[in-house]
Order: sequence, then C-alpha cells, then structure tokens
Amino acid sequence: MNDWSAVPWNLVMPLIIIQVLLMVVALIDLVRIHETKGPKWLWAILIVVVSILGPIAYFIIGRKQQ
Amino acid sequence: MNTWRVLWIKEFRESWRSFKLLWIPLLFLFLGVSDPLVNYFMEDILNAVGNMPEGFQMIMPELHARDLLLATTEQFQMMGIIVLIAVFVGTISRERSGGTATLIYVRPVSAASIFLSKWMGASLVALLSALIGYIGSIYYTSVLYGEITFSTALTIIATYSVWLLLVMSLTVALSAAFTTAVAASLAIILIPIGGILDSLLGGYWHVTPWKLARYGVLVTDGTIESSYYWTTLLLVIGITLLCLVLGIWATDRNRRLAAV
Repeated sequence: MNDWSAVPWNLVMPLIIIQVLLMVVALIDLVRIHETKGPKWLWAILIVVVSILGPIAYFIIGRKQQ
Repeated sequence: MNTWRVLWIKEFRESWRSFKLLWIPLLFLFLGVSDPLVNYFMEDILNAVGNMPEGFQMIMPELHARDLLLATTEQFQMMGIIVLIAVFVGTISRERSGGTATLIYVRPVSAASIFLSKWMGASLVALLSALIGYIGSIYYTSVLYGEITFSTALTIIATYSVWLLLVMSLTVALSAAFTTAVAASLAIILIPIGGILDSLLGGYWHVTPWKLARYGVLVTDGTIESSYYWTTLLLVIGITLLCLVLGIWATDRNRRLAAV
C-alpha cells in the first residue's frame, strides 16, 4: 500500500523543507526569547506537533513584545 | 530625511531580529508552492487517503497554469493577508500603549518620519514575502502545468505588490489612529472580509479595490478588459496615498495629545 518510491520526492521535498525551516526558526526564537504568553513548554509542543500553523500561531500570539 | 532613514533601518533591524523577515516569506513560499502541488497530485492523494468506495470515479477539472496562479493569489488573499495584518497592526499602537513612543516624541522627529518608516518597514516584509511566494508558485506551475512567460509573471507580481502596499498603508494608518484591538478588527473587516463580500456581491460592478489581485492574473491572458484593470490599479494607488496622508495626520494628532 505504501509505495514510498512512487512519491515524487524531488517535488515534495521543498514543501517538507519549508515546514522544517519554519519549525526550526520558531524553536530558535522560543529558546532565545525572555518570556512568552503562556508556558514555554506548551509552545514548544505546539510548534513541533502542528506543522505550519503551530509556528505561525507562536509568532503571532505567543511572542511577547518587550 | 535623515531621521527617516535611521528609523527605517531600525524597523528593518527589528524585522530581522524578530525573524519576521524569515518566517513570513517562508509562509508565503509554502502557500505558493502547495497549491500547484496539491492540485497536480489530487488523484493520488485521494487514492491514498480518501477511502474511496470501489469503482468510484471522479472527473478532475482540466487545470491550466492561470487557474493555479489564481488559486495561489486567493491563498495569499486569505491566509497571507490575515497574517500580515496580525503582525503589523500593532506597529504604532503597541509602541504608544507600551510607552516607547514617547521616547521618539520628545525628539525632533516629524510625524511623517515616524509613520513612513513604519510603513516602509512593514511593506518591505510584505513585498519580499509575496515575491518569494509567487516565484515558488510560478516555478512549480511552469514545471507541472506549462510555460508562464516572464511578462506574465512580472505583471502578476507587480500588481500584487501594489495591492500589498495598500494593505500595509491601511494597516499601519489604522495602527496610528486607534488602539491595537480596534485597528485589528477594522483592518480584518476592511480587507479580508471586504474581499469576501466583494467576491459574493461584486458581479454587479467591475471596479473595486479588492478585485485588483484577481485582475492582476486575469489581465495577463485578456479575460478582462484592460480598462477595468487600469481603473482598479489607479483607484488602489489613490486609496494608498489617502491612507498615507491620514496615517501621518493620525500620528501627528496622537503625538500632540500625548502627555510627555
């Protein structure tokens, strides 16, 4: 059923890379920032588990402007 | 002029340090790339995860390069614009409520410098994001669906940039005039919700600012009359200038009302 070789990886790969990059950028920011709205560990889980929307929600809502 | 440049560089640095210059372009790139890909592999995706009954048949519409570019534009219009508004609607109002604005008020900096540097900072992020997003979308569309000429790409990107300048000038002007909450609700009502209303009821007229993004794609293959396109474009530029003037005025007014 799962025929991984049939997936056109050269086309799909950029999409995955973008998701991972967004996740990494959000995590770096989460580590460096002094304080977030809501607990930090919760944001870390959200960023890793929810692809695309997790990092975006963090950047819009979670980041506290100093 | 010099203070304006200093403030603008400060804005630019802030966008860089808060990763805005990184994650918003990445989001637009994702939005731009996903539509051509998902539509191209729709049948495979449905077969893999759809749990379709035995013998289920579906006729996929024949999509052309233009349809994919329209789909990308629609993605930017909803998700992209809402994110841009949410990120930049506080640029001036948050500084006012947080008290950092008074630090600038006591210096000999004109209201125009304050407002225009904010607007340029926000617009730069927005334009860069749209550019990267469209390049991704156009690349994938041309690989999967067929040639897109350079002039088509240029028209679409340039038109969308004009539209984004309006969105950012309205957002920052509202931020200059009202508190963050009020500015955010007004901006969301005026731009994304206005756009939805216009697409529901807009069949009766040809020129509204919300139509510009679609027209930018449609004008490239002559689906709409180019006079509609140019009128809409001029209207949008006019409203942008109006927003800038009102924004500078609001910044100046709030500055005079502030007790230093």
